[in-house]
Amino acid sequence: MGNDLFLIKEEIKKNIKILLCYPVEIMFWAIFPVLWVIPFIFQGQALVGGVTSAQFKELAGTEQFVPFILTGAIISTYLFSSLYGMGGNIRMESYWGTLEYILGSPARKISILMGKALSESISSTFFVTTQVIICVFGFGLTLTMGKILPILLVMLLLVVGLYGMAIALAGVTLQIKESRSLVHTIEYLFYLFSPIRYPVGINPVIATVSLVIPLTYALLAIRGIWLLNQPMSSLWKYVGLLALLDVIFVTVGYLIFHHMEKKVRRSGSVAQY
Amino acid sequence: MGLKSERAILAQDIVKTFKKKGRRKYGIGPKITRDEYIHAVNGVDLAVHEGELFGLLGPNGAGKTTLVKCLSTLLLPNSGNVSINGHDIVEDPIAARECLGITTGGERTLYWKLSGRDNLKYFAALYGLSSEEADKRIDYLMKIMGLEERQHERIEKYSTGMRQKVSISRALIHDPPVLLLDEPTLGLDPSFSRFIRSFIKKDLNQKQGKTIVLTTHYMDEADQLCDRIAIMNEGKIVAVDTPEALKRKIPQDEVLEVKCLGHADFSGIGQRVYADSAEGVTIYRIHAENVEDIMSEVIQASHSARILSMNVSKPTLEDVFIHLTGARLTGEDDGQ
Amino acid sequence: MDLLLSTDRIVRYLRAMNAENMKEWKIELTYRVDFVRGMLEPLIFVFPYVLFAMALVGGRTSSVLEGLTGVSDGVTYTIIGYIFMGFLNTAVWGMGFALRKEQWYGTLESIFVAPVPRWVYVLGMALHSTVHQGIILFFQIAVVYVLFGVILHVQGVLPVLVFIGLMLFSLVGLGLMVSGLALIFKEGWIVSEVLYSLITIVTPIAYPLAVLPPLLQKISLTMPTTYAITGIRHFLIDETMGVGLWDSYSRLILIGVCWIVSGLLMFQVVDKKVRREGTLAEY
Repeated sequence: MGNDLFLIKEEIKKNIKILLCYPVEIMFWAIFPVLWVIPFIFQGQALVGGVTSAQFKELAGTEQFVPFILTGAIISTYLFSSLYGMGGNIRMESYWGTLEYILGSPARKISILMGKALSESISSTFFVTTQVIICVFGFGLTLTMGKILPILLVMLLLVVGLYGMAIALAGVTLQIKESRSLVHTIEYLFYLFSPIRYPVGINPVIATVSLVIPLTYALLAIRGIWLLNQPMSSLWKYVGLLALLDVIFVTVGYLIFHHMEKKVRRSGSVAQY
Repeated sequence: MGLKSERAILAQDIVKTFKKKGRRKYGIGPKITRDEYIHAVNGVDLAVHEGELFGLLGPNGAGKTTLVKCLSTLLLPNSGNVSINGHDIVEDPIAARECLGITTGGERTLYWKLSGRDNLKYFAALYGLSSEEADKRIDYLMKIMGLEERQHERIEKYSTGMRQKVSISRALIHDPPVLLLDEPTLGLDPSFSRFIRSFIKKDLNQKQGKTIVLTTHYMDEADQLCDRIAIMNEGKIVAVDTPEALKRKIPQDEVLEVKCLGHADFSGIGQRVYADSAEGVTIYRIHAENVEDIMSEVIQASHSARILSMNVSKPTLEDVFIHLTGARLTGEDDGQ
Repeated sequence: MDLLLSTDRIVRYLRAMNAENMKEWKIELTYRVDFVRGMLEPLIFVFPYVLFAMALVGGRTSSVLEGLTGVSDGVTYTIIGYIFMGFLNTAVWGMGFALRKEQWYGTLESIFVAPVPRWVYVLGMALHSTVHQGIILFFQIAVVYVLFGVILHVQGVLPVLVFIGLMLFSLVGLGLMVSGLALIFKEGWIVSEVLYSLITIVTPIAYPLAVLPPLLQKISLTMPTTYAITGIRHFLIDETMGVGLWDSYSRLILIGVCWIVSGLLMFQVVDKKVRREGTLAEY
């Protein structure tokens, strides 16, 4: 156990040091996801001539569409930057030739993955904090201190589900080597099937699919706290479902990784790039 | 520049310096270490004659690859002139490249997802061949390389040796008069190496009369193949001559090679001695005018070590290299 | 750079461009899943914008949009903007990453020693990605016709092709700039992402120029995509054009010349820089 903690600490240290070698990438993730919502704001203005819409309120619970998409951007960035980071991390280890040594070591794979996932969480937390600051000062989004703790609690639950996905992705990356396009597809599918950029209630098929994505419940709960001032007691349903999906995602994620690692070892394709 | 046509490659006073940027703490803020300048090639003059097989020898980091990259137009020298078949590489790089065929080190210089034939067809188009010309040329090259049967398979399924054959075929696709071959046998097994060496010497050089610059750190290869050899060290050419003439530069006629377990002290015998140790075994090369005269002193000086073998030979190119630079070449001829 | 090219060399360069195009097709088709994904992703990308529009107006018609553009159907308006904007991908990803990809394969030095100027590879890739984007475009038009009943004026096709051609002319210049920058920046994809994001913000893709703040409107008028998207929508779905037709064409030509010249110059400078510093094979 002591060795596992040491390994996780070293993995985090290594990853953060490597990330610091790419300052432009840090700047990018800290700023750009917020800029991606600007076209939605202009589009909204062109369609309704302002920043509010009664039709939107029927679906989203708020008539203010700007805070809706800003919160969607912030929370989804947390997910996507972690996923890109995790896939990219394995890909680079494979490119550098260090992956073989990592997989060949007697260390528990779960500890290595934990180290990787935790380091991605640390950097994603930094990116999201910067984005919140930009949204508060640049777009007039308000956030009161009392809401921060419940929001963090929901985020924590989102992170667990995310780890499940990240672990599965790490496994798949072992086999296919290039994960960027896969994450890209996941990103697009999430943009379509979860209420990141629009209320999914607009289409019944999409609304049904969104029910199996943890991000949907996280967004519903966080927007409930942040934008709709709903008390936690009315949001327990979302939090519970999120926790349930977490368990499923982590279990399935680990099974996928375990299966892929075995498969790769059998076919000997770790060193191929 | 008043070039003589019989000089296929003429390089004058080539200097290539790289800047190694100073480090900044966390990648930002003031530098905590200074910028460094590395003189990879430092005032090299080179004249390779038409039809000559010319070797560039040197240890890793001697500047061979940088020099070859300058000759091939991949790098711009800081100063100096280079011309290939009379075409200046800075003034008219396209014409210079038309005369050149190049193989660079590394396995990944081909498209792994394409077949051997598709790779060659693509490069044929880059070198200005029409589709029909390309097909004829590829048929010919595949045949002499013995790759006909597997030409439609993807490169990723080839062995290292087969990839090297495709890589050499690529260099020959436009039938260039000048070839730059950077470590063409590196990492190949002995049978592939023998094939490549014989192909370079007999077919390309002797039959087709191509001018070839070969970089290698395999002494035997250079000795067997090259008409003339330039020895590079620390960015400079320290000697250029035929292999025989280079060997004659060593004043002593014989070399005694002593292989022993542990270390011996030969400092008292008054001859040039070079040692190299690996895994507890030390090989001493003692240069002497007459080995018989020093034999008893050698045995006496070896009392602290256990002698495994002793050999008397004529000086090799490696001895020349040691003699000229005071250092051994890294990488050995094992298995070559 | 050879400004005066002999016929022989032009033929060679065209042959090399086509070889580059064909090679990319062969490599691309070995990754079949990626190929299918490449067809579907741009479509999925558009849907959130369309569904967002529907959520805002509670259907697909907007009187506000009609007042601003003459088009009341917010869904069709948005879709046309985004599917034709796909050509921007050709420049920032397809062309911009032409050389970067070779660097990744390990083949960059091998192609750079061939007797062909470096920009020929980028143009070869432009040819490839334009054809690729063209196929995606037809596929998208067919799907949105089925899913959203988007109907376009067929008689507007010719002027639309002129708009696309002129937009591509500028985008080749942009592609040359990006491919140069991608060679010197370790994080080349960020260059593409940043340019893509900034250009899409100032281009009136799903909104008219009038909703942009004054400063962004001025910047927007220097973008080829602004004239092309508005012109295309004018001929396909009757959007009101703020700038006259011939004025739009001539501005597109002017911007195209400026971007191509800047692209070639920047590419030349970067090429010299990497050859001087010896960073060609680095990743």
